[in-house]
Amino acid sequence: MAAPIELFCWKGSWGLPSVDTDSLIVLAYARFAGTPLKVHKISNPWRSPTGSLPALKTKEDGSFSQPSKIIIQLRKQKYNADYDLSAKEGADALAFISLLEEKLMPALIYALWVDPKNYAEVTRRWYAENISFPLNFFLPSRMQGQQLERVRLMWGNSTLEAGEEAEKELYADALECMNLLSQRLGSNRFFFGDSPSSLDAYVFGHLAPLLKIRLPSSRLQQQLKALDNLTKFCSNILSLYFPDESQEGRSQPTSRVQEGSDFDHEPYKRHKQLLSVLVAVAAMLGYALLSGIVAIEHVKEERSTGNSSIEPPDEEEA
Amino acid sequence: MSLAAEAFVSQIAAAEPWPENAILYQPLREDQILLSDCASSLAVQAYLRMLGLPVRVQCRANAEYMSPSGKVPFIHVGNQVVSELGPIVQFTRAKGHSLSDGLDDVQRAEMKAYMELVNNMLLTAELYIQWCDENTAAEITRPRYSSPYSWPLNHILAYQKQWEVRRKMSAIGWAGKTLEQVYEDVSQCCQALSQRLGTQPFFFNKQPTELDALVFGHLFTILTTRLTTDELSEKIKSYSNLLSFCRRIEQTYFESQDRDSQLGASDYSKGPSLM
Repeated sequence: MAAPIELFCWKGSWGLPSVDTDSLIVLAYARFAGTPLKVHKISNPWRSPTGSLPALKTKEDGSFSQPSKIIIQLRKQKYNADYDLSAKEGADALAFISLLEEKLMPALIYALWVDPKNYAEVTRRWYAENISFPLNFFLPSRMQGQQLERVRLMWGNSTLEAGEEAEKELYADALECMNLLSQRLGSNRFFFGDSPSSLDAYVFGHLAPLLKIRLPSSRLQQQLKALDNLTKFCSNILSLYFPDESQEGRSQPTSRVQEGSDFDHEPYKRHKQLLSVLVAVAAMLGYALLSGIVAIEHVKEERSTGNSSIEPPDEEEA
Repeated sequence: MSLAAEAFVSQIAAAEPWPENAILYQPLREDQILLSDCASSLAVQAYLRMLGLPVRVQCRANAEYMSPSGKVPFIHVGNQVVSELGPIVQFTRAKGHSLSDGLDDVQRAEMKAYMELVNNMLLTAELYIQWCDENTAAEITRPRYSSPYSWPLNHILAYQKQWEVRRKMSAIGWAGKTLEQVYEDVSQCCQALSQRLGTQPFFFNKQPTELDALVFGHLFTILTTRLTTDELSEKIKSYSNLLSFCRRIEQTYFESQDRDSQLGASDYSKGPSLM
Protein backbone atom coordinates (compact mmCIF):
# COMPACT_ATOMS: atom_id res chain seq x y z
CA MET A 1 0.00 0.00 0.00
CA ALA A 2 1.43 3.31 -0.98
CA ALA A 3 1.34 5.76 1.87
CA PRO A 4 0.34 9.16 0.57
CA ILE A 5 0.47 10.67 4.07
CA GLU A 6 3.05 13.37 4.62
CA LEU A 7 3.91 14.93 7.95
CA PHE A 8 5.56 18.31 8.31
CA CYS A 9 7.09 19.11 11.68
CA TRP A 10 9.76 21.18 13.40
CA LYS A 11 13.18 19.65 13.15
CA GLY A 12 14.98 18.19 16.11
CA SER A 13 17.90 19.10 18.29
CA TRP A 14 19.34 18.18 21.70
CA GLY A 15 18.74 14.51 20.90
CA LEU A 16 15.03 15.07 20.41
CA PRO A 17 13.25 14.07 17.19
CA SER A 18 11.65 17.54 17.24
CA VAL A 19 11.97 20.55 19.50
CA ASP A 20 8.28 21.37 19.47
CA THR A 21 5.77 19.72 21.82
CA ASP A 22 2.98 19.37 19.28
CA SER A 23 5.33 17.91 16.68
CA LEU A 24 6.69 15.47 19.24
CA ILE A 25 3.20 14.30 20.15
CA VAL A 26 2.32 13.58 16.55
CA LEU A 27 5.63 11.92 15.76
CA ALA A 28 5.41 9.69 18.83
CA TYR A 29 1.81 8.75 18.13
CA ALA A 30 2.63 7.86 14.54
CA ARG A 31 5.52 5.68 15.67
CA PHE A 32 3.37 3.99 18.32
CA ALA A 33 0.67 3.20 15.77
CA GLY A 34 3.22 2.08 13.18
CA THR A 35 2.10 4.61 10.59
CA PRO A 36 4.18 4.73 7.41
CA LEU A 37 4.77 8.46 7.05
CA LYS A 38 6.86 10.64 4.88
CA VAL A 39 8.24 13.02 7.49
CA HIS A 40 9.54 16.43 6.48
CA LYS A 41 11.54 17.89 9.31
CA ILE A 42 11.72 21.55 8.43
CA SER A 43 12.32 24.84 10.17
CA ASN A 44 10.11 27.11 8.15
CA PRO A 45 6.46 27.04 9.12
CA TRP A 46 5.59 28.86 5.89
CA ARG A 47 6.53 25.76 3.93
CA SER A 48 3.90 23.68 5.67
CA PRO A 49 0.61 23.21 3.80
CA THR A 50 -1.36 24.84 6.63
CA GLY A 51 1.12 27.58 7.48
CA SER A 52 1.89 26.14 10.90
CA LEU A 53 3.72 23.13 12.26
CA PRO A 54 3.06 20.25 12.69
CA ALA A 55 0.85 19.56 9.69
CA LEU A 56 -0.43 16.35 8.20
CA LYS A 57 -1.09 16.28 4.47
CA THR A 58 -3.42 13.60 3.18
CA LYS A 59 -4.55 13.11 -0.35
CA GLU A 60 -8.23 12.67 0.33
CA ASP A 61 -9.03 15.04 3.17
CA GLY A 62 -6.60 17.92 2.86
CA SER A 63 -4.30 19.12 5.61
CA PHE A 64 -4.59 19.28 9.39
CA SER A 65 -2.60 21.13 11.96
CA GLN A 66 -3.61 20.47 15.55
CA PRO A 67 -2.29 17.28 17.17
CA SER A 68 -5.76 16.14 18.20
CA LYS A 69 -7.03 16.50 14.64
CA ILE A 70 -3.98 14.77 13.22
CA ILE A 71 -4.46 11.86 15.60
CA ILE A 72 -8.13 11.57 14.61
CA GLN A 73 -7.05 11.56 10.98
CA LEU A 74 -4.48 8.82 11.59
CA ARG A 75 -7.15 6.82 13.37
CA LYS A 76 -9.39 7.13 10.35
CA GLN A 77 -6.60 5.59 8.30
CA LYS A 78 -6.67 2.63 10.70
CA TYR A 79 -3.49 3.59 12.53
CA ASN A 80 -4.77 3.50 16.07
CA ALA A 81 -2.46 3.28 19.05
CA ASP A 82 -5.45 3.20 21.40
CA TYR A 83 -6.97 0.11 19.86
CA ASP A 84 -6.26 -2.07 22.90
CA LEU A 85 -7.64 0.35 25.47
CA SER A 86 -10.90 -0.43 27.21
CA ALA A 87 -13.59 2.24 27.15
CA LYS A 88 -12.70 3.26 30.68
CA GLU A 89 -9.00 3.50 29.84
CA GLY A 90 -9.88 5.61 26.83
CA ALA A 91 -11.80 7.94 29.15
CA ASP A 92 -8.82 8.09 31.52
CA ALA A 93 -6.52 8.95 28.62
CA LEU A 94 -8.77 11.83 27.61
CA ALA A 95 -8.88 13.10 31.19
CA PHE A 96 -5.12 13.03 31.66
CA ILE A 97 -4.57 14.75 28.32
CA SER A 98 -6.83 17.55 29.58
CA LEU A 99 -4.81 17.68 32.79
CA LEU A 100 -1.60 18.11 30.76
CA GLU A 101 -3.08 20.85 28.62
CA GLU A 102 -4.51 22.80 31.53
CA LYS A 103 -1.74 22.46 34.09
CA LEU A 104 1.56 21.57 32.45
CA MET A 105 1.29 23.37 29.12
CA PRO A 106 1.27 26.92 30.59
CA ALA A 107 4.36 26.18 32.68
CA LEU A 108 6.15 24.63 29.72
CA ILE A 109 5.41 27.67 27.58
CA TYR A 110 6.57 29.88 30.42
CA ALA A 111 9.84 27.99 30.81
CA LEU A 112 10.66 28.12 27.09
CA TRP A 113 9.13 31.37 25.87
CA VAL A 114 8.48 33.74 28.76
CA ASP A 115 11.38 33.22 31.16
CA PRO A 116 13.73 35.94 29.88
CA LYS A 117 16.98 34.03 30.33
CA ASN A 118 15.76 30.83 28.74
CA TYR A 119 14.11 32.65 25.89
CA ALA A 120 17.11 34.79 25.03
CA GLU A 121 19.79 32.15 25.45
CA VAL A 122 18.04 29.03 24.22
CA THR A 123 14.67 29.37 22.52
CA ARG A 124 15.15 32.50 20.46
CA ARG A 125 18.68 31.51 19.63
CA TRP A 126 17.63 28.08 18.38
CA TYR A 127 14.80 29.41 16.26
CA ALA A 128 16.84 32.31 14.94
CA GLU A 129 19.63 29.96 13.89
CA ASN A 130 17.38 27.40 12.31
CA ILE A 131 14.81 29.51 10.54
CA SER A 132 16.08 30.70 7.19
CA PHE A 133 17.38 34.22 6.59
CA PRO A 134 14.73 36.90 6.28
CA LEU A 135 12.18 35.07 8.46
CA ASN A 136 14.54 34.57 11.38
CA PHE A 137 14.42 38.27 12.19
CA PHE A 138 10.75 38.39 13.07
CA LEU A 139 9.35 34.86 13.36
CA PRO A 140 10.86 34.04 16.79
CA SER A 141 9.50 37.19 18.38
CA ARG A 142 6.15 36.71 16.70
CA MET A 143 6.01 33.16 18.02
CA GLN A 144 6.87 34.45 21.46
CA GLY A 145 4.03 36.95 21.25
CA GLN A 146 1.58 34.20 20.39
CA GLN A 147 2.77 31.92 23.17
CA LEU A 148 2.67 34.71 25.73
CA GLU A 149 -0.87 35.59 24.68
CA ARG A 150 -1.84 31.95 25.03
CA VAL A 151 -0.51 31.68 28.59
CA ARG A 152 -2.14 34.96 29.54
CA LEU A 153 -5.54 33.96 28.22
CA MET A 154 -5.36 30.46 29.67
CA TRP A 155 -4.36 31.90 32.98
CA GLY A 156 -7.11 34.49 32.77
CA ASN A 157 -4.63 37.19 33.68
CA SER A 158 -3.95 39.75 31.01
CA THR A 159 -1.04 41.34 32.83
CA LEU A 160 1.08 38.24 33.31
CA GLU A 161 4.74 39.16 33.12
CA ALA A 162 7.87 37.15 33.57
CA GLY A 163 8.62 37.25 37.25
CA GLU A 164 8.76 35.47 40.54
CA GLU A 165 5.06 35.36 41.24
CA ALA A 166 3.88 34.11 37.85
CA GLU A 167 6.64 31.54 37.81
CA LYS A 168 5.74 30.27 41.26
CA GLU A 169 2.07 29.88 40.43
CA LEU A 170 2.59 28.22 37.07
CA TYR A 171 5.32 25.93 38.34
CA ALA A 172 3.28 24.91 41.38
CA ASP A 173 0.51 23.71 39.06
CA ALA A 174 3.01 21.97 36.81
CA LEU A 175 4.69 20.25 39.73
CA GLU A 176 1.35 19.00 40.98
CA CYS A 177 0.55 17.74 37.49
CA MET A 178 3.88 15.94 37.19
CA ASN A 179 3.41 14.36 40.62
CA LEU A 180 -0.05 13.15 39.63
CA LEU A 181 1.34 11.69 36.41
CA SER A 182 4.14 10.02 38.27
CA GLN A 183 1.68 8.48 40.71
CA ARG A 184 -0.55 7.31 37.90
CA LEU A 185 2.37 5.80 36.01
CA GLY A 186 3.75 4.03 39.06
CA SER A 187 6.20 1.33 38.03
CA ASN A 188 4.48 0.61 34.70
CA ARG A 189 6.36 0.92 31.47
CA PHE A 190 3.55 2.85 29.81
CA PHE A 191 0.39 4.42 31.21
CA PHE A 192 -1.84 1.55 30.16
CA GLY A 193 0.28 -1.57 30.47
CA ASP A 194 2.87 -2.68 27.97
CA SER A 195 1.98 -0.85 24.81
CA PRO A 196 1.96 2.92 24.37
CA SER A 197 -1.22 4.92 23.73
CA SER A 198 -2.11 8.48 22.78
CA LEU A 199 -1.70 9.52 26.42
CA ASP A 200 1.90 8.29 26.35
CA ALA A 201 2.47 10.38 23.23
CA TYR A 202 1.09 13.50 24.93
CA VAL A 203 3.08 12.98 28.12
CA PHE A 204 6.23 12.35 26.10
CA GLY A 205 5.64 15.46 24.00
CA HIS A 206 5.30 17.64 27.09
CA LEU A 207 8.09 16.17 29.21
CA ALA A 208 10.82 15.28 26.72
CA PRO A 209 11.68 18.92 25.84
CA LEU A 210 11.97 19.72 29.54
CA LEU A 211 14.31 16.80 30.05
CA LYS A 212 16.53 17.30 27.04
CA ILE A 213 16.83 21.00 26.37
CA ARG A 214 19.51 22.55 28.53
CA LEU A 215 17.96 25.66 30.05
CA PRO A 216 19.88 28.26 32.08
CA SER A 217 17.09 28.69 34.63
CA SER A 218 16.01 25.18 35.25
CA ARG A 219 13.76 25.00 38.29
CA LEU A 220 11.02 23.10 36.49
CA GLN A 221 13.58 20.75 34.96
CA GLN A 222 15.05 19.88 38.31
CA GLN A 223 11.62 19.14 39.67
CA LEU A 224 10.97 16.79 36.77
CA LYS A 225 14.33 15.08 37.11
CA ALA A 226 13.48 14.22 40.70
CA LEU A 227 10.62 12.03 39.44
CA ASP A 228 12.54 8.94 38.39
CA ASN A 229 9.76 7.00 36.74
CA LEU A 230 8.83 9.89 34.45
CA THR A 231 12.41 10.50 33.32
CA LYS A 232 12.83 6.79 32.71
CA PHE A 233 9.55 6.76 30.80
CA CYS A 234 10.81 9.48 28.44
CA SER A 235 14.25 8.01 27.84
CA ASN A 236 12.59 4.64 27.26
CA ILE A 237 10.41 6.03 24.50
CA LEU A 238 13.36 7.88 22.99
CA SER A 239 15.53 4.79 22.80
CA LEU A 240 12.73 2.41 21.73
CA TYR A 241 10.91 4.51 19.17
CA PHE A 242 13.48 7.08 18.10
CA PRO A 243 16.75 5.13 18.13
CA ASP A 244 18.50 7.33 15.53
CA GLU A 245 17.76 10.54 17.39
CA SER A 246 18.88 9.34 20.78
CA GLN A 247 22.11 8.00 19.31
CA GLU A 248 22.67 11.21 17.50
CA GLY A 249 22.11 13.06 20.73
CA ARG A 250 24.59 10.85 22.52
CA SER A 251 27.37 10.65 19.98
CA GLN A 252 27.34 14.16 18.66
CA PRO A 253 26.79 16.49 21.53
CA THR A 254 30.36 17.74 21.73
CA SER A 255 30.81 18.22 18.02
CA ARG A 256 27.40 19.86 17.81
CA VAL A 257 28.11 22.30 20.56
CA GLN A 258 31.41 23.28 18.99
CA GLU A 259 29.92 23.51 15.58
CA GLY A 260 27.17 25.55 17.13
CA SER A 261 29.43 28.03 18.84
CA ASP A 262 31.49 28.63 15.70
CA PHE A 263 28.56 28.70 13.44
CA ASP A 264 26.31 30.77 15.62
CA HIS A 265 28.15 34.01 15.36
CA GLU A 266 28.96 33.63 11.71
CA PRO A 267 25.59 34.61 10.21
CA TYR A 268 25.11 37.38 12.76
CA LYS A 269 28.52 38.79 11.85
CA ARG A 270 27.72 38.78 8.17
CA HIS A 271 24.33 40.38 8.76
CA LYS A 272 25.89 43.06 10.89
CA GLN A 273 28.56 43.79 8.30
CA LEU A 274 25.97 43.96 5.57
CA LEU A 275 23.78 46.21 7.66
CA SER A 276 26.59 48.63 8.53
CA VAL A 277 27.68 48.88 4.89
CA LEU A 278 24.11 49.64 3.88
CA VAL A 279 23.76 52.29 6.57
CA ALA A 280 27.06 53.92 5.53
CA VAL A 281 26.10 53.96 1.86
CA ALA A 282 22.71 55.42 2.69
CA ALA A 283 24.30 58.15 4.82
CA MET A 284 26.80 59.09 2.12
CA LEU A 285 24.16 59.23 -0.56
CA GLY A 286 21.93 61.29 1.68
CA TYR A 287 24.69 63.79 2.34
CA ALA A 288 25.57 63.96 -1.32
CA LEU A 289 21.97 64.63 -2.25
CA LEU A 290 21.37 67.25 0.43
CA SER A 291 24.51 69.22 -0.21
CA GLY A 292 23.90 69.21 -3.95
CA ILE A 293 26.97 67.28 -5.05
CA VAL A 294 24.70 65.01 -6.90
CA ALA A 295 21.40 66.28 -8.16
CA ILE A 296 18.55 64.43 -9.64
CA GLU A 297 16.82 66.18 -12.43
CA HIS A 298 13.52 65.20 -13.69
CA VAL A 299 13.74 65.30 -17.43
CA LYS A 300 10.32 65.23 -18.82
CA GLU A 301 10.05 63.24 -21.92
CA GLU A 302 7.84 65.05 -24.23
CA ARG A 303 5.61 62.74 -26.02
CA SER A 304 3.60 64.19 -28.75
CA THR A 305 0.75 62.56 -30.46
CA GLY A 306 0.50 62.01 -34.14
CA ASN A 307 3.31 62.82 -36.54
CA SER A 308 4.65 65.96 -34.92
CA SER A 309 8.00 67.16 -36.05
CA ILE A 310 11.17 66.25 -34.19
CA GLU A 311 12.27 69.05 -31.96
CA PRO A 312 15.49 70.81 -32.71
CA PRO A 313 18.46 69.21 -30.97
CA ASP A 314 19.78 72.44 -29.42
CA GLU A 315 16.77 72.67 -27.09
CA GLU A 316 17.67 69.40 -25.45
CA GLU A 317 21.22 70.52 -24.80
CA ALA A 318 20.20 73.80 -23.24
CA MET B 1 -4.96 33.72 44.40
CA SER B 2 -1.24 34.20 44.83
CA LEU B 3 0.86 31.75 46.75
CA ALA B 4 1.63 34.15 49.56
CA ALA B 5 -2.04 34.94 49.96
CA GLU B 6 -2.79 31.24 49.83
CA ALA B 7 -0.38 30.42 52.63
CA PHE B 8 -1.79 33.29 54.66
CA VAL B 9 -5.36 32.15 54.07
CA SER B 10 -4.65 28.57 54.99
CA GLN B 11 -2.98 29.66 58.23
CA ILE B 12 -5.85 31.84 59.28
CA ALA B 13 -8.47 29.51 57.91
CA ALA B 14 -7.30 26.62 60.00
CA ALA B 15 -7.83 28.62 63.16
CA GLU B 16 -11.44 29.58 62.57
CA PRO B 17 -14.37 27.20 62.23
CA TRP B 18 -16.85 27.59 59.38
CA PRO B 19 -19.20 30.42 60.33
CA GLU B 20 -22.97 30.32 60.01
CA ASN B 21 -23.16 33.44 57.90
CA ALA B 22 -21.06 32.40 54.89
CA ILE B 23 -22.31 33.96 51.67
CA LEU B 24 -21.92 32.86 48.06
CA TYR B 25 -22.21 35.61 45.47
CA GLN B 26 -23.35 35.03 41.90
CA PRO B 27 -24.93 37.14 39.15
CA LEU B 28 -28.72 37.70 39.04
CA ARG B 29 -30.43 34.35 38.67
CA GLU B 30 -33.40 35.28 36.54
CA ASP B 31 -32.16 37.85 34.08
CA GLN B 32 -28.41 37.88 34.03
CA ILE B 33 -26.51 34.70 34.84
CA LEU B 34 -25.05 32.77 31.90
CA LEU B 35 -24.87 29.05 31.42
CA SER B 36 -21.18 28.74 32.24
CA ASP B 37 -21.34 30.94 35.37
CA CYS B 38 -24.47 29.18 36.53
CA ALA B 39 -22.71 25.82 36.14
CA SER B 40 -19.68 26.97 38.14
CA SER B 41 -21.87 28.45 40.84
CA LEU B 42 -23.96 25.29 41.13
CA ALA B 43 -20.79 23.20 41.35
CA VAL B 44 -19.59 25.23 44.34
CA GLN B 45 -23.00 25.03 46.00
CA ALA B 46 -23.12 21.27 45.49
CA TYR B 47 -19.61 20.96 46.91
CA LEU B 48 -20.45 22.91 50.05
CA ARG B 49 -23.70 20.98 50.51
CA MET B 50 -21.82 17.69 50.20
CA LEU B 51 -19.56 18.87 53.02
CA GLY B 52 -22.58 20.02 54.98
CA LEU B 53 -21.30 23.58 55.21
CA PRO B 54 -24.09 26.17 55.23
CA VAL B 55 -23.89 29.01 52.73
CA ARG B 56 -26.41 31.65 51.74
CA VAL B 57 -26.67 32.56 48.05
CA GLN B 58 -26.75 36.24 47.19
CA CYS B 59 -27.36 37.49 43.68
CA ARG B 60 -25.60 40.68 42.69
CA ALA B 61 -25.58 42.31 39.29
CA ASN B 62 -21.91 43.21 39.72
CA ALA B 63 -20.76 39.88 41.14
CA GLU B 64 -18.17 39.52 38.40
CA TYR B 65 -16.55 42.81 39.43
CA MET B 66 -16.71 42.01 43.14
CA SER B 67 -14.82 38.75 42.72
CA PRO B 68 -11.08 38.87 43.46
CA SER B 69 -10.24 36.85 40.33
CA GLY B 70 -12.92 38.38 38.11
CA LYS B 71 -14.72 35.06 37.95
CA VAL B 72 -17.91 33.96 39.62
CA PRO B 73 -18.94 32.49 41.97
CA PHE B 74 -17.03 33.54 45.06
CA ILE B 75 -17.69 32.95 48.74
CA HIS B 76 -17.36 35.35 51.60
CA VAL B 77 -16.48 33.45 54.76
CA GLY B 78 -15.54 35.35 57.90
CA ASN B 79 -12.87 37.81 56.76
CA GLN B 80 -11.98 35.98 53.59
CA VAL B 81 -13.13 36.06 50.01
CA VAL B 82 -12.34 33.05 47.82
CA SER B 83 -13.40 32.55 44.21
CA GLU B 84 -13.80 29.50 41.96
CA LEU B 85 -14.07 25.83 42.87
CA GLY B 86 -10.34 24.96 42.96
CA PRO B 87 -9.31 27.56 45.54
CA ILE B 88 -12.53 26.98 47.50
CA VAL B 89 -11.65 23.28 47.77
CA GLN B 90 -8.22 24.23 49.14
CA PHE B 91 -9.80 26.71 51.50
CA THR B 92 -12.23 24.21 52.98
CA ARG B 93 -9.47 21.62 53.29
CA ALA B 94 -7.45 24.10 55.31
CA LYS B 95 -10.44 24.37 57.63
CA GLY B 96 -10.49 20.60 57.98
CA HIS B 97 -13.36 19.81 55.61
CA SER B 98 -12.48 17.60 52.69
CA LEU B 99 -14.28 15.13 50.45
CA SER B 100 -11.24 13.48 48.91
CA ASP B 101 -9.23 12.38 51.97
CA GLY B 102 -10.33 8.79 51.55
CA LEU B 103 -8.77 8.44 48.10
CA ASP B 104 -5.40 6.87 47.42
CA ASP B 105 -2.75 8.57 45.29
CA VAL B 106 -3.80 7.11 41.96
CA GLN B 107 -7.46 7.89 42.60
CA ARG B 108 -6.59 11.46 43.54
CA ALA B 109 -4.60 11.79 40.32
CA GLU B 110 -7.56 10.49 38.34
CA MET B 111 -9.96 12.79 40.13
CA LYS B 112 -7.82 15.83 39.30
CA ALA B 113 -7.52 14.67 35.69
CA TYR B 114 -11.27 14.30 35.26
CA MET B 115 -11.84 17.71 36.81
CA GLU B 116 -9.51 19.18 34.20
CA LEU B 117 -11.39 17.25 31.53
CA VAL B 118 -14.60 18.99 32.58
CA ASN B 119 -12.88 22.38 32.63
CA ASN B 120 -11.03 21.79 29.40
CA MET B 121 -13.92 20.48 27.34
CA LEU B 122 -17.32 21.16 28.93
CA LEU B 123 -16.60 24.63 30.26
CA THR B 124 -14.82 25.67 27.08
CA ALA B 125 -17.67 24.31 24.98
CA GLU B 126 -20.17 26.26 27.07
CA LEU B 127 -18.15 29.44 26.56
CA TYR B 128 -17.86 28.73 22.85
CA ILE B 129 -21.60 28.20 22.40
CA GLN B 130 -22.43 31.28 24.46
CA TRP B 131 -20.10 33.73 22.83
CA CYS B 132 -18.91 32.34 19.50
CA ASP B 133 -22.15 30.99 18.10
CA GLU B 134 -23.62 34.21 16.74
CA ASN B 135 -27.26 33.10 17.15
CA THR B 136 -26.85 32.28 20.82
CA ALA B 137 -24.71 35.37 21.42
CA ALA B 138 -27.24 37.73 19.85
CA GLU B 139 -30.41 36.15 21.24
CA ILE B 140 -29.35 35.08 24.71
CA THR B 141 -25.83 35.88 25.82
CA ARG B 142 -25.37 39.56 25.06
CA PRO B 143 -28.86 40.66 26.20
CA ARG B 144 -28.60 38.66 29.41
CA TYR B 145 -25.01 39.63 30.17
CA SER B 146 -25.76 43.32 29.78
CA SER B 147 -29.25 43.34 31.31
CA PRO B 148 -28.34 45.37 34.43
CA TYR B 149 -26.75 48.18 32.45
CA SER B 150 -28.26 50.98 30.43
CA TRP B 151 -27.35 52.14 26.96
CA PRO B 152 -24.54 52.52 25.82
CA LEU B 153 -22.71 50.66 28.57
CA ASN B 154 -24.64 47.47 27.92
CA HIS B 155 -23.32 47.19 24.38
CA ILE B 156 -19.80 48.15 25.30
CA LEU B 157 -19.51 45.60 28.10
CA ALA B 158 -21.15 42.78 26.17
CA TYR B 159 -18.98 43.23 23.10
CA GLN B 160 -15.88 43.66 25.23
CA LYS B 161 -16.58 40.35 26.95
CA GLN B 162 -17.34 38.64 23.66
CA TRP B 163 -14.09 39.90 22.18
CA GLU B 164 -12.17 38.63 25.19
CA VAL B 165 -13.71 35.15 25.00
CA ARG B 166 -13.09 34.94 21.27
CA ARG B 167 -9.45 35.87 21.76
CA LYS B 168 -9.16 33.09 24.28
CA MET B 169 -10.76 30.64 21.86
CA SER B 170 -8.30 31.52 19.13
CA ALA B 171 -5.38 31.23 21.54
CA ILE B 172 -6.34 27.69 22.54
CA GLY B 173 -7.12 26.66 18.97
CA TRP B 174 -10.90 26.54 19.26
CA ALA B 175 -11.60 29.48 16.97
CA GLY B 176 -11.49 27.34 13.85
CA LYS B 177 -13.99 24.83 15.19
CA THR B 178 -17.52 24.64 13.89
CA LEU B 179 -20.51 24.27 16.16
CA GLU B 180 -20.82 20.62 15.12
CA GLN B 181 -17.24 19.93 16.18
CA VAL B 182 -17.91 21.52 19.56
CA TYR B 183 -20.99 19.34 20.06
CA GLU B 184 -18.83 16.39 19.08
CA ASP B 185 -16.32 17.35 21.78
CA VAL B 186 -19.09 17.62 24.37
CA SER B 187 -20.29 14.21 23.33
CA GLN B 188 -16.79 12.78 23.67
CA CYS B 189 -16.41 14.31 27.12
CA CYS B 190 -19.79 12.96 28.27
CA GLN B 191 -18.91 9.56 26.95
CA ALA B 192 -15.68 9.58 28.95
CA LEU B 193 -17.54 10.67 32.09
CA SER B 194 -20.22 8.06 31.53
CA GLN B 195 -17.62 5.31 31.08
CA ARG B 196 -15.81 6.37 34.19
CA LEU B 197 -18.98 6.53 36.27
CA GLY B 198 -20.28 3.16 35.07
CA THR B 199 -22.86 1.84 37.49
CA GLN B 200 -21.38 3.41 40.62
CA PRO B 201 -23.40 5.95 42.58
CA PHE B 202 -20.50 8.44 42.53
CA PHE B 203 -17.30 8.68 40.55
CA PHE B 204 -15.27 7.12 43.32
CA ASN B 205 -17.81 4.64 44.53
CA LYS B 206 -19.82 5.42 47.67
CA GLN B 207 -18.55 8.84 48.66
CA PRO B 208 -18.97 12.02 46.64
CA THR B 209 -15.86 14.09 45.85
CA GLU B 210 -15.32 17.53 44.39
CA LEU B 211 -15.36 15.88 40.97
CA ASP B 212 -18.97 14.82 41.53
CA ALA B 213 -19.86 18.38 42.49
CA LEU B 214 -18.19 19.79 39.39
CA VAL B 215 -19.76 17.30 36.99
CA PHE B 216 -23.16 17.78 38.59
CA GLY B 217 -22.90 21.57 38.32
CA HIS B 218 -22.20 21.47 34.61
CA LEU B 219 -24.48 18.65 33.50
CA PHE B 220 -27.44 19.79 35.58
CA THR B 221 -27.14 23.35 34.32
CA ILE B 222 -26.92 22.24 30.71
CA LEU B 223 -29.93 19.98 31.17
CA THR B 224 -32.11 22.66 32.73
CA THR B 225 -31.13 25.70 30.67
CA ARG B 226 -32.94 26.58 27.48
CA LEU B 227 -30.71 27.71 24.63
CA THR B 228 -31.58 28.47 21.02
CA THR B 229 -31.46 24.77 20.25
CA ASP B 230 -31.54 21.87 22.67
CA GLU B 231 -28.74 20.03 20.88
CA LEU B 232 -26.36 20.48 23.83
CA SER B 233 -28.71 18.90 26.37
CA GLU B 234 -29.61 16.14 23.91
CA LYS B 235 -25.94 15.12 23.93
CA ILE B 236 -26.12 14.48 27.66
CA LYS B 237 -29.52 12.84 27.59
CA SER B 238 -28.16 9.94 25.59
CA TYR B 239 -26.16 8.82 28.65
CA SER B 240 -28.66 7.40 31.09
CA ASN B 241 -26.21 6.87 33.93
CA LEU B 242 -25.22 10.55 33.85
CA LEU B 243 -28.89 11.53 34.01
CA SER B 244 -29.58 9.35 37.01
CA PHE B 245 -26.35 10.64 38.59
CA CYS B 246 -27.69 14.21 38.31
CA ARG B 247 -31.06 13.18 39.77
CA ARG B 248 -29.39 11.37 42.63
CA ILE B 249 -27.31 14.37 43.65
CA GLU B 250 -30.24 16.72 43.23
CA GLN B 251 -32.42 14.58 45.49
CA THR B 252 -29.75 13.85 48.09
CA TYR B 253 -28.19 17.25 48.46
CA PHE B 254 -30.73 19.79 47.30
CA GLU B 255 -34.30 18.59 47.73
CA SER B 256 -34.01 16.61 50.97
CA GLN B 257 -31.76 19.18 52.62
CA ASP B 258 -34.09 21.98 51.68
CA ARG B 259 -37.08 20.07 52.96
CA ASP B 260 -35.31 19.25 56.22
CA SER B 261 -34.27 22.75 56.98
CA GLN B 262 -37.51 24.30 55.71
CA LEU B 263 -35.57 26.90 53.85
CA GLY B 264 -38.11 27.29 51.14
CA ALA B 265 -37.77 28.99 47.83
CA SER B 266 -35.67 31.95 48.85
CA ASP B 267 -32.52 29.91 49.39
CA TYR B 268 -33.37 27.28 46.87
CA SER B 269 -30.92 28.62 44.44
CA LYS B 270 -30.57 25.86 41.94
CA GLY B 271 -33.42 26.98 39.74
CA PRO B 272 -35.52 24.51 37.80
CA SER B 273 -35.59 20.87 38.71
CA LEU B 274 -34.98 17.78 36.64
CA MET B 275 -38.11 15.96 37.70
